Amino acid sequence: MGDDFVLQFEGISKQFPGVKALEDVSFDLRRGEVHMLVGENGAGKSTLIKILAGAHRHDAGRIVINGQPAEIQNPAQALARGVSVIYQEFNLVPFLSVAQNIFLGREPRHPKIPGLIDHARMNAESRALLESLGVDIDPRTMVHYLGVAQQQMVEVVKALSVNAQIVVMDEPTSALTTREIEQLFAAIRRLTARGVGVIYISHRLEEVFQIGDRVTVLRDGKWIASMNVRDATMDVIIQAMVGRTIDRLFHRDFMTDKGQVALAVRNLHRHGVLQDINMTVRCGEIVGLAGLVGAGRTELARVIFGADPYDAGEVTIFGRTLRGSPVECVAIGVGFLPEDRKREGLALILPLRENVVMASLRRLFPSGIIRRAKERGVVSDFVKSLDIATPSINRMTKFLSGGTQQKVVLAKWLCTQSRFLIFDEPTRGIDVGAKAEIHQLMNELVKQGAAILMISSELPEALNMSDRIYVMHKGRITKELSREEATQEAILRHAMGVTI
Amino acid sequence: MSDNVWRAWARRATMAPGAVYALILLSLIFSLFTAQFLTLPNLANVGMQAAVLVIVALGMTLIILSEGIDLSLGPVLGLAGVILALCVKQQMPLALAILLAILVGAAFGALNGVLVAHLGLPPFVVTLGTFGMAQGLALVLTEGASIPGLGPGIQYFNDGLIAGLPVPIVMTAITFLVIYVILYHTKFGTYVFALGGNQEALGLAGVPVRLYKTGVYVLGGALAGVGALVMTGRMNAAHPTVGVGLEFDAIASVLLGGTSFERGKGWLAGTLIGVAAVSVLRNGLNLIGLSTSWQVSMVGTVIILAIVVDALRGI
Repeated sequence: MGDDFVLQFEGISKQFPGVKALEDVSFDLRRGEVHMLVGENGAGKSTLIKILAGAHRHDAGRIVINGQPAEIQNPAQALARGVSVIYQEFNLVPFLSVAQNIFLGREPRHPKIPGLIDHARMNAESRALLESLGVDIDPRTMVHYLGVAQQQMVEVVKALSVNAQIVVMDEPTSALTTREIEQLFAAIRRLTARGVGVIYISHRLEEVFQIGDRVTVLRDGKWIASMNVRDATMDVIIQAMVGRTIDRLFHRDFMTDKGQVALAVRNLHRHGVLQDINMTVRCGEIVGLAGLVGAGRTELARVIFGADPYDAGEVTIFGRTLRGSPVECVAIGVGFLPEDRKREGLALILPLRENVVMASLRRLFPSGIIRRAKERGVVSDFVKSLDIATPSINRMTKFLSGGTQQKVVLAKWLCTQSRFLIFDEPTRGIDVGAKAEIHQLMNELVKQGAAILMISSELPEALNMSDRIYVMHKGRITKELSREEATQEAILRHAMGVTI
Repeated sequence: MSDNVWRAWARRATMAPGAVYALILLSLIFSLFTAQFLTLPNLANVGMQAAVLVIVALGMTLIILSEGIDLSLGPVLGLAGVILALCVKQQMPLALAILLAILVGAAFGALNGVLVAHLGLPPFVVTLGTFGMAQGLALVLTEGASIPGLGPGIQYFNDGLIAGLPVPIVMTAITFLVIYVILYHTKFGTYVFALGGNQEALGLAGVPVRLYKTGVYVLGGALAGVGALVMTGRMNAAHPTVGVGLEFDAIASVLLGGTSFERGKGWLAGTLIGVAAVSVLRNGLNLIGLSTSWQVSMVGTVIILAIVVDALRGI
């Protein structure tokens, strides 16, 4: 029975200055299984993986690989032990070929000329590896020219090429479309069929049931539970993750009488991107914008916010026809919460305090001089009302968790007294507990008379949070669905352009 | 079919770096405005003068690809020339003198590399410092004066012929080939792209990142030493400040050639085109009779123009 385990963590602990990141964590990985590792942000998943990869050292406990205690002090030793980690941020070099990336650090030697690398062999072996996973990519292509999904596949192939026995994937599907996810899952099944053990970290709990054999839950750096997926239910896992029962995941108070028209878009056209868009959003409602990746949802949101130009049509917000600039939009009370919070929503190296007041400095301090006492008061009020989890308002934003960061972006727009908010994927990459809180905040906002346009690729979120849903396909709105009409099937059908 | 071929060429043409257009445009202008420009002796002269710049710019390409920069290469070349001349004057064997000159270049490269790679200091600041060190050292050793009359051994690096071709041209060609092979066919070259493209990925692949990063600067410095041979041969003298400004032309050539400061994007052949553009510009302005000071200003203008054009084209 002991031979069955390719990897065992035994009582792993890790202390960072001021934080106990891992405390006596034990779990194991069987040969040929997909072991899901779930937990909220900050639960210790990444730290555990980094210890396995040799990027961190653990303070206590031991790692056993193939029954042998393994000392892993650096990435090279991890590789030598057959551990291969696919990180969330890709570890690819853009201006090297696919083959060069796969063999990075292990380039085969040229058979005749010493000192040179054997491109022919590298390309041939890469091609064979790509084909074995059913991936159609020319190994000579520069990675820079590949799409995200293809890059993900290159990462998988790279992991495979080192003859890894243990492959760790950190949220591998966060940037993939449904079909690409299928491809990735097929690749993972081929890996496990060869006896590779896969540790799979995910925030999308559906995936636990789609691909996982066993699931381990971590919370606050501690092991909470391990179970077979076929014995587990979503509720049990969520409960273990948050340590409490979340009774209502999506809570909405739908109101019968809507307020004034917040947004009216008429015949909006942007060459090659958007065609003939007509839509309205009223105060007191959340309007969903559904569609596949690339349907033009984010593009539409950016045009509405004035961040991108348009060729024809009209955008009216709170009765004012806009000429199209974010400055104008912010002035009349529009807030935009971008999908990529870290890049477009926050200044990560600035403290929470400065991020919150960033867009409201003129309103708060008309004299042009920032008064710290007033700033502290304003920010502290938001930290309290939005329940932002931070040790201090001076905490650098990059140290906050994804859910907390999203709340900071929200606070920034509430601080400008925005009454029309555009949420682009409001809960992507945010853990379950924080997700419910964000949804609750959105509910509160519309109850108080705000209008929300929400782009969401998560169908349950779109279905449960929206009063109405516009479905987009190839730059057009193909359907407006009422709350009653909206079902997963209806959305998907219109999102894929099926009109019957 | 032929339509496709045309389209492929058209696409390639629009993807070419600004240097290609700059080179064509400048050549046209100078051919129209001066009678001498489009003559064999003049073009041969451009080639000879460009030799030093090519050698230095090749090293600079690798450094910039690795997301670094080396401002010290110009003065280091000057210092290597001074060392070469002093050794020759001491009646040292020529081979030893050459070796020492190249070693001086490599040593400065190693200093830059260690400070950048191991201490994590910004390359701009580090090499600005070593710029001053090399420059000052050259002036101290020569007391500010030239060291002329180095004899036929040194002059060979300008006047000599190998297979009917001038030595500077042959040296340039060999250097290009060697660097080409290193960049595209060795681990070292692969890691140069990775240093600029994704240094973390390189480290996680178990590659000693600092060692290779230091190596890039060592190679750049050694090439400055090689450049010093040609430069000293051309003047049959060493002058302490002869290299100053060369780093500027080298960086200009690399950027014109389409190599970027970010993400390890670039190509070696582009640097050759970049050097050609800068050299033609300087030569043409000479022929027109514009002072050196104006030439520097013009090179700067052309760089900005070429980069603006590239940015507008979205390359």
